[in-house]
Amino acid sequence: MIFIAILIGCILGALIGMNAPMISYTYSSYLAIAVIAALDSVFGGITSVINKNFDLKIFVTGFFGNAILAILLTILGQRLNVDIYLAAIVVFVGRMFINLAIIRRYYVDKWSKKFEEIKNKNVKAKEKVEAKADEK
Amino acid sequence: MKTKMKKGKITMIITAGIACFVLVLVMTMQFKIVNEADITSIENMRKTELSTELANWKTRYDEVNKQYEETVSMIEEYKNNKESNEQTNSLMDEELKQINMTLGKVDVEGEGITILINETNNDEVEKITADDLLLIVNALKLAGAEAISINDQRIINMSDIVYIDAAGIIRVNGERILAPYTIKAIGDSNYLESSLIGNGGVVDDMKKKEQDVTIQKSNNIIIYKYNGEIDTKYME
Repeated sequence: MIFIAILIGCILGALIGMNAPMISYTYSSYLAIAVIAALDSVFGGITSVINKNFDLKIFVTGFFGNAILAILLTILGQRLNVDIYLAAIVVFVGRMFINLAIIRRYYVDKWSKKFEEIKNKNVKAKEKVEAKADEK
Repeated sequence: MKTKMKKGKITMIITAGIACFVLVLVMTMQFKIVNEADITSIENMRKTELSTELANWKTRYDEVNKQYEETVSMIEEYKNNKESNEQTNSLMDEELKQINMTLGKVDVEGEGITILINETNNDEVEKITADDLLLIVNALKLAGAEAISINDQRIINMSDIVYIDAAGIIRVNGERILAPYTIKAIGDSNYLESSLIGNGGVVDDMKKKEQDVTIQKSNNIIIYKYNGEIDTKYME
């Protein structure tokens, strides 16, 4: 169910984004930083789901708040002639990597456990078959 | 409890959908902008790129400007050279003209006098000799004549006026000349005339001998150029 919603959202967004009017190149840097912030929020959300402390309010506020805050900081940085967006990118991307690492570890653990279980099952089945053969 | 759970799930699904929608929307827009924007055009450049580009252009401009100035100065030099060449050319032309005129290589025209000498039929009157002509020419030269000719034989620096006594022939420039003699001279006509007719002047003396000599002043006397060749063999 949730995957369907995500798929529909992605397709709708792509379609509307393709047909949306062009935004001037000067504002593209703000959009880019907003995208990075949103991606960071998404990965953060997935990590929290894995850690089982997912909160919808925190996700939504983080998703939009981080994006808007990043844009505002970028504008402020341009006014101050300091490349604040660099700091924002460093923080967001760094956090994205950390979250990705957590997600990766979780799934690797899960899959390795599954493999072991399968292996154990096979070994047990073999032992059973051998035991039966011995009885005979 | 079940409905509450469902409600929470629905909101979560909707939120996830909206989040994905917004994310993908912004991302596609950004892709489009980045794809279609011409990064090399000045309007889209970042500040640092612009400043480096500007510095590049500035150095290039300086170089070109330097070259331009060099070229301009070279052109100036050439112009000056050309002008000085033209000046020397015109000076040379002037000098050549002057020299040709004084050498007798060209026809000349100007203010001067004409002296007509006729042989008289009277036997008692002395015949005209080359000495008379020489005296006249010398007097004219003294009076500042710039060009002289006898019967259109131009008198140049190497001209000879000789009298071959036995035959009674007068030669000028190696050519025989016959009466009536016409001596043309260009110069200040008053000076020329007065040098001839003054007391003790040649023409006066000739007139005393009753020889037929007349002097005419004129404003445009034409003296033709020397006919012969002027070549030098021994001069260096």
